[in-house]
Amino acid sequence: MEQTSIFWSLPFLHSGEGRPTPKLKGGTLLLLALLALSVQGCLGFGGPSGQQVATGSNGQQVSVNQDVFKGNFYLTINHNLYVLNGNNTTKELVSTGNVYDPAVSPDGKWVAFIEKYKEYSDLCVVSTSGGKVRVLRTGAGKFYYNGPFIHNTFAWYAQPSWSADGSTLLFLSDLEKEDWYQQTGRDAPMLDLQVFSVPFNNPTVKPKDVAYATFGDGGDRDASYRPGHPDQIIYTHYTYDAATQTQQDIQLYMENPNTISAHPGMYYPGSPGGGFDPSIAITTPDLENIQPAFSPDGNAIAYIQRNKNQTQMSLMVMPTPPDSITQTPNDPKTEALALQSYKTQSSHLLSQTYIEQPVWSPDGKQIAYIQYTGGAFDLWIVKVNYDAKTQKYSIAGSPIQVTSGGIDGESRPVWTT
Amino acid sequence: MQGRETPRPADLTEQQTVKQPSFPGPITAFPGPNKLPRTPDVYVQGQHGRYGPGAGGLGQSLPGSFPNGPLSMPQAGGPMGPASFPQGFNAPGGMNPGAPFSMPGAGMIAAPPAPGTFHPNGFPAGPGSFGDGPQGPGGRRGERYGSSGKGSGGKKRKKKRRVPIWARVVIGILLFFLILGGTGFAYYQINFAGAVNHIVGQQVQRAPGEEDPNANLNNGILSGPRINILLLGSDTDQKFQGQYIAQTDIVVTIDPASHTVGMLSIPRDFYIPVPGYGLHKLDEAFGLGGVDLSRRTIEQDFGIPINYYAWVGLDGFIKVINEVGGVDVDVLHPIVDDNYPDDVGANANNPYAFKRLYLPPGPQHLDGQTALEYVRSRHADLVGDFGRSARQQQVLGALKAKLANPDVFGHLSAIANDLQGYLKTDMQLSDVLKLMYFARSLDVNKINKLILGPPYSTSGVAPAGTPDAGADVVFPNCAKIIPAISQMLQLGDKAACNVVGDSGGSSQLPVAYTTGQPSPLAVSINNTVDGLGNLTNSLPGGLNSAPSSLFGIQSLLDLMLMGVFESTDVF
Repeated sequence: MEQTSIFWSLPFLHSGEGRPTPKLKGGTLLLLALLALSVQGCLGFGGPSGQQVATGSNGQQVSVNQDVFKGNFYLTINHNLYVLNGNNTTKELVSTGNVYDPAVSPDGKWVAFIEKYKEYSDLCVVSTSGGKVRVLRTGAGKFYYNGPFIHNTFAWYAQPSWSADGSTLLFLSDLEKEDWYQQTGRDAPMLDLQVFSVPFNNPTVKPKDVAYATFGDGGDRDASYRPGHPDQIIYTHYTYDAATQTQQDIQLYMENPNTISAHPGMYYPGSPGGGFDPSIAITTPDLENIQPAFSPDGNAIAYIQRNKNQTQMSLMVMPTPPDSITQTPNDPKTEALALQSYKTQSSHLLSQTYIEQPVWSPDGKQIAYIQYTGGAFDLWIVKVNYDAKTQKYSIAGSPIQVTSGGIDGESRPVWTT
Repeated sequence: MQGRETPRPADLTEQQTVKQPSFPGPITAFPGPNKLPRTPDVYVQGQHGRYGPGAGGLGQSLPGSFPNGPLSMPQAGGPMGPASFPQGFNAPGGMNPGAPFSMPGAGMIAAPPAPGTFHPNGFPAGPGSFGDGPQGPGGRRGERYGSSGKGSGGKKRKKKRRVPIWARVVIGILLFFLILGGTGFAYYQINFAGAVNHIVGQQVQRAPGEEDPNANLNNGILSGPRINILLLGSDTDQKFQGQYIAQTDIVVTIDPASHTVGMLSIPRDFYIPVPGYGLHKLDEAFGLGGVDLSRRTIEQDFGIPINYYAWVGLDGFIKVINEVGGVDVDVLHPIVDDNYPDDVGANANNPYAFKRLYLPPGPQHLDGQTALEYVRSRHADLVGDFGRSARQQQVLGALKAKLANPDVFGHLSAIANDLQGYLKTDMQLSDVLKLMYFARSLDVNKINKLILGPPYSTSGVAPAGTPDAGADVVFPNCAKIIPAISQMLQLGDKAACNVVGDSGGSSQLPVAYTTGQPSPLAVSINNTVDGLGNLTNSLPGGLNSAPSSLFGIQSLLDLMLMGVFESTDVF
């Protein structure tokens, strides 16, 4: 008589005389296979295999897959400065736990970076081979009362960036808020970080004003020189819309870094639309465009685009607008010309929930970026193709994960030879 | 017999059929055991009420004979059938229910087994029939119930009563849930009860003569009438000489009948009479007299009866965020704030209790302290509370995503302990659960929010001769406050604004000094808030099914977050 009991369909539940020989059924094999896969996931197998180098800010061990890139990556993990070499070496350069925004000099000798503290931050530099940290500018200060208002002499520094010849450092700071409060009458705490520059060999002199911020939405970010063009910089500008002062306008701007200093008194911050504006927008305000990065030859800009609902971010590339736009920034025709590259020639490369901090490889054929994967921010690289006919960019092949475990997403990495 | 061979399951067609002798009359129904022709000597009621062979056994009948009638069973001289029949199951004489018997001309055949039993050969068998049992004739185990061949009397056997299968299943299920419930209870007692018991049920006695608005709440917290909950939030920093102040003073009013909720935010710097202490800032009432004094201040000065309270220490938020490993959010723009309240203690260089903030923009990992700064900063943008609300929604969404992860189960106990000391309420846990369940069911359009900022108040400086002389304070505008709170809390003519007169001190209403511009007025909600709200709502897995919903932890967290965020947006 046919066995109908379910017990007889399960192996190893009966034995001895009168029972079928135990053997694995197909369903059991499938279950075992699925179990093996899930255990594999739990044990962390299958991701980029590589050297474990540090513990991230989320408590996870950070591994580096060093067989997939050439050159060096300078980045921060749990706000300590590391250099990852494509030849399987990793070195910790600064271990204070306060490090942000590394930037390597063009000659490869120095790493400028930020040490961030409770009320202020310092602009610092260290040799790329490690060693003693030198403070270029300190933001230390104190609080004091000015009438009923509490003021302070502290200063934030952020995001240093080198000129092509290594002689000048761009950086962000709110160090002039007290001065501008006196001149504009605006409440000083509302004045946000702007772009300045100092000579590297004399960093303590009075900084030069490079680009202004409008108050209330955080100021400027991501300033850098255009390679081969010492008279052009790019940065991200945060402000509220002029009409209602309720919607964020986050756009990319280009500017001649010498215009403000060459025309003192012509432009005042904190008053949108007032007076001469040395900057010119190269993206429109309908979408949020941030974190621009020039290609090594200066002819393309990689950037991040975010929709207004902040549900998705995209890695984009566009050709750099014509050189002339920073010469007549207030001409309506120039303003229209400056937007053409963005409107007609932007190429979409990748989209993710979180994708940020693009940086080009030294040869300009790859882009590295930080992507949120598996609950952590990690470094990825992707090859990029350029079609000269269409002037469009596209990715070649699949992106490659360089780190796992989580690096600091708010600090842009640097890729050198 | 040599060796053993795998038995071939018996085919029904191979079994010999038992031929029953005919009855003298029509058979209409089973007559019952008491009415069957029986031979007491053969069948007696055994130990468990079952019928088995009597003391006389089945006699000494030869195989094939039925000395005691057609339904009698032959006696087996030894253990019959499977040897594993339990003791007591058999009547004296050792006859097993499944023992074989013989029929004239039929040889030895397997007896009808006990009801409800199962045999691997496809027909029911006695208990223990899986497995060992003596071999019957023919040498095939299990095919037939074995018989030593001794005795083959034809004595009757009655089926022994068995517990039905369905009953066994029901009993098994009940046992399972009993064990599960007991285990859960024990787990709760060991890992959560201590912490939770220090959070809920923290009664604060009312002062003599103080009216208790809960006197008529006989059927529970949401049984009918409107209730008001005083939500207090402190920085849990002891820079004020060991006395916490309440930076957050919110009255949450709930009307179960109309399914509406309101949140009345009273500025911490409201300069009003504190019973027994004279004119003080509202946040100081908590430091001077704890929950009771804060409660009486609200009741006395505004006529708002307070049914319950909940106090939140902001450090609890930091601990919870760190316990889940931080949160990952996309910071919308650079956060720059030069006047963020310093919650980690004053020092010689900063006697003013402020700190500066700078958070870079973009997706990043936030620890507990940074997350708290991100959601609390008031000076980081131009859109005031709407900017804060958008940031709070981000952190909430990220936190809820962490709490929905099954991995958080191992941290629930630690989260409960993190809340201990930083969350207290006089509500019972069941009240909190009801409340949070109620809140989650609300239509967000029916949540009213009122902040008693301008034009309900005016900034100024406390006059000389008062305890807070020279400090920045806020003076209530009673002409606007009274109608607003009367409508929101349905106070009728009980709404008050007793900022003049005090039972224990100076009762002179100071002249309102105005030294600065009023705070910015609220502006329309921007797309950011809507978009983030959609993102939060689209998170997978309802929270009611999240691990954190176990043991009421999620509801307690929601209560804490409501105090930290000063908002019902936690739902």
